[in-house]
Amino acid sequence: MSTIQGEPFIINIGPQHPSTHGVFRIKATVDGERVIDAEMVMGYLHRSMEKLAEERTYTQNIPFTDRTDYLSSMSNNLGYVLAVEKLAGIDVPDRGQAIRVIMAEFQRLASHCMAVGAFTNDTGAWQTPIMWCFREREKVLDLFEMTSGARLTCNYMRIGGVAFDLPKGFEEAARKTLAGFPQLIDELDAMLSGNEIFLARTKGVGVLTPEMATNASLTGPMLRGSGIAWDIRKADPYCGYEQYDFQIPIGYNGDSYDRFSVRLEEMRQSVKIIQQALDRLPGGPHSTQVPLALRPPKGEAYARVEGPRGELGYYLVSDEGPSPFRFHIRPPSFINLSALKEMTVGGTVADAIVVLGSIDIVVGEIDR
Amino acid sequence: MKQPFLVSDKWYDIRDLSNLSNEILHQVDRALPGEAAYILSPLLGFVFVFLLFVLPTQLYLGVLGERKIIGRMQSRYGPNRTGKFGVLQPIADAAKLLTKEALTPRYADKTIMYLAPVLFVMPAVMVWAVIPFGPEMIIADIPNSLVYYLAVSSVPTLVIFMGGWSHNNKYSLFGAIRIVAMGVSYEVPLVMALLGVVVMTGSLSLNGIVFWQDAFDIWLVALQPLAFAIFFICVSAELNRTPVDIAEAESELGSGYLTEYSGMKWGLFYGMDIAYALAASALGATIFFGGWSFFGLQDWVPSWLFFIGKLYAFYFLFIWTRGTLPRLRIDQLMAFCWKYLFPLALFNLFIVATERVIWTDGLDGEKGFVYIFAAANILATIVLVVTWARFLGYRPENQTTKPRLVNEAGGYVPVTPASGEGR
Amino acid sequence: MDGAGPTLAFWALSAVTLVAAGGVLVSRNLLHAVLFLILSFVGIAGFFLLLSAEFLAMAQVVIYVGAIAVLVLFAVLLTPAVGRDNGETRFIAPALLLSVALAAVFIFVIHDTTWNTVDEDPRATVESLGTALLGRWVLPFEIASVLLTAALVGAIMLVRSPEEEAEDGLA
Repeated sequence: MSTIQGEPFIINIGPQHPSTHGVFRIKATVDGERVIDAEMVMGYLHRSMEKLAEERTYTQNIPFTDRTDYLSSMSNNLGYVLAVEKLAGIDVPDRGQAIRVIMAEFQRLASHCMAVGAFTNDTGAWQTPIMWCFREREKVLDLFEMTSGARLTCNYMRIGGVAFDLPKGFEEAARKTLAGFPQLIDELDAMLSGNEIFLARTKGVGVLTPEMATNASLTGPMLRGSGIAWDIRKADPYCGYEQYDFQIPIGYNGDSYDRFSVRLEEMRQSVKIIQQALDRLPGGPHSTQVPLALRPPKGEAYARVEGPRGELGYYLVSDEGPSPFRFHIRPPSFINLSALKEMTVGGTVADAIVVLGSIDIVVGEIDR
Repeated sequence: MKQPFLVSDKWYDIRDLSNLSNEILHQVDRALPGEAAYILSPLLGFVFVFLLFVLPTQLYLGVLGERKIIGRMQSRYGPNRTGKFGVLQPIADAAKLLTKEALTPRYADKTIMYLAPVLFVMPAVMVWAVIPFGPEMIIADIPNSLVYYLAVSSVPTLVIFMGGWSHNNKYSLFGAIRIVAMGVSYEVPLVMALLGVVVMTGSLSLNGIVFWQDAFDIWLVALQPLAFAIFFICVSAELNRTPVDIAEAESELGSGYLTEYSGMKWGLFYGMDIAYALAASALGATIFFGGWSFFGLQDWVPSWLFFIGKLYAFYFLFIWTRGTLPRLRIDQLMAFCWKYLFPLALFNLFIVATERVIWTDGLDGEKGFVYIFAAANILATIVLVVTWARFLGYRPENQTTKPRLVNEAGGYVPVTPASGEGR
Repeated sequence: MDGAGPTLAFWALSAVTLVAAGGVLVSRNLLHAVLFLILSFVGIAGFFLLLSAEFLAMAQVVIYVGAIAVLVLFAVLLTPAVGRDNGETRFIAPALLLSVALAAVFIFVIHDTTWNTVDEDPRATVESLGTALLGRWVLPFEIASVLLTAALVGAIMLVRSPEEEAEDGLA
């Protein structure tokens, strides 16, 4: 008996599509509702950052890093300044380290708010969870505005420390903001984690086996969702993360739901870290003096941080000039995206959207 | 209908607005020659219903209420800039839509694309003809008004398909195909659920169903909770409301069949979507919540107030689900319809038919037994839903929703039966 | 049927139905043809209404407009050659011949039959319809349902993939 075969046709998901989170395109070949092939098209937001950075001094490059992953500028600043400090051999005072940790973790909270909210939006929860997440995220951005003067592109970290010391009343405001987060996470848990429709949409969708995840060199919640305990903050501590007590959440099957729940749990852990850091915030200077026209010795350095999306690495080569000879970013979104095809093919179009949402991409970082 | 105290059938008795409209009709008949009044009366009815009820309530309370309530659910204010508390927002929206350029894609089927929004409005107005606002306040009191409602409300599916297909856009086509598949499927359990109501009340007329509920002092939602649940889910599906709005599917298809519509053509679809939701709420309130009746109180207070109150209470249910639930996938939606709702609807019909036979043949239609049936049905529904969820459904409490926590970084942590779920 | 209203309605409905039926024949776009077909269904429903058969009219709309037309749309959409439109084929001559012959037979029959006309209003209520369907005409009714079930099973069998059949041990 012959089977009825649909005629495959191509739909372009993106570049202008509500669920691609920017200008990114999936060229999906579909048979009915089933995706049989997917091709990623990117580069719509390419700004040639790595090349431009070779023309500017080390300090001038810090604002560039804000604009790669515009949802987590603090983490990006941090990764870059760590690389420069490694290259030039600069030490950071304890207070500077602690402030960096606080800021990086707040950034993780803000970024995960966005990730979780956008993901639930992609599953079709009409705007409600994302608005709840935004409610808390705004408070974090208020804190950033208080310290650095900017909400999104903070440009706060400096080589050798941070730009300014914490303003008066920051600690109080930070604790107040933190108090809202467990409530938000519990709300999201109550609304989504036990929701049958949400479970049906996300469980078993976009499954990444541990082998697939490691072979594609995924990092961050993507990797942890597949059950691999890997976190740069534990494996290769920086900024004194070894002093703080926190745990790595890992998933079971590596499906979209696991990635979602890992992110929620990471938010809980971040709250824990920030509280510890605030409790034992050391005194002293927030930064060491570093010459503006920094000329690091000849050599190369690679520094990595655990950004909200995964391992965020900066590779710098110095030829003793005032600007880096080579400036390279290891963007977690870009590398996490490489598993998209494996995850979407075989599912439906609706699944592809959910999977893309669960990766949590930032197109500015993919295209740089 | 006997009205107590004071006036009864004078035109200024606002408890029954049909007196007023009759009065107007008589005056017009006296003033105009021949049958002109009878040609005029449908027009008058249209003006009264559409311009005085559907348009203000729908474009006002519908749009504004939905946006405000959803805003509150999402911990934001909702529109509050245009006028006091944003009350002028719907007008501002309409002005914006009217002045906006209505784009037409070059390869679109222009005739059908222009026709679809117009055809979409017609049924939205027509369904109101049979909705009873009071014992006498009904524009067309036809004996089969329930069937009329179902017939008219089956047209929008087709119109949406026309709209989606005509754009020559793949997303629209996806939306169109989805709505057709869903509309045809969900019509079946919907009709089955309503059939149970008809069997119990023995009436195909909406007004008759309300009279029955009034006479027995019970709302059908208590007598047939299962039918109500099925009705609500199916109507949400037919209306494209959020838990099942796969045809629009903003995040997947970028608004599906509406993708290429802009300006007032889009506005008509948007406004009429709310009109259909209100009409469906009106149907639900009439059938399951006693319509204009309120346990005898409708003789004293204007009955249409009860009806409109119930209508909006029902509409609030739609807004609520829209504000809270994620969307299902099309295959899950179809499976839910055919594997769960349809058997349940058949089962419901079976129970109701049995009860009806026992009631009329064995018990001579004794009034008190209705309450026993109601208690039995509520119990049966709870048992059915719980057992269904226990043995056949998805069991959220068995799913691990929290991730595992480890202290040290390392490699893969295998899932052991103790730590994880077996799936 | 007396008065100006029904007569006017009759002629208007006739015009709509006939024009729509003609549209089915002449429109080149298959989907337009289907939409014309639906319009003619609606026209027929109007005729039922004129004949005081409200229930039939509504059933006509529910079944033909709401369900069957939608299925026809589906069938047209799933036809592989839908993009080729309603082209001319070599069947056009025999088709014309056949339709002319059929029309001749119909006109002859309509013209030649002495139609029964009733003077009183034939109130076909839902109740009487139901009683008739489940009483006197129960056998045809049941046979029709069996036929539809058979068609349903056949349709499902047609679209099953070999893997599914292997699973059930049917192949």
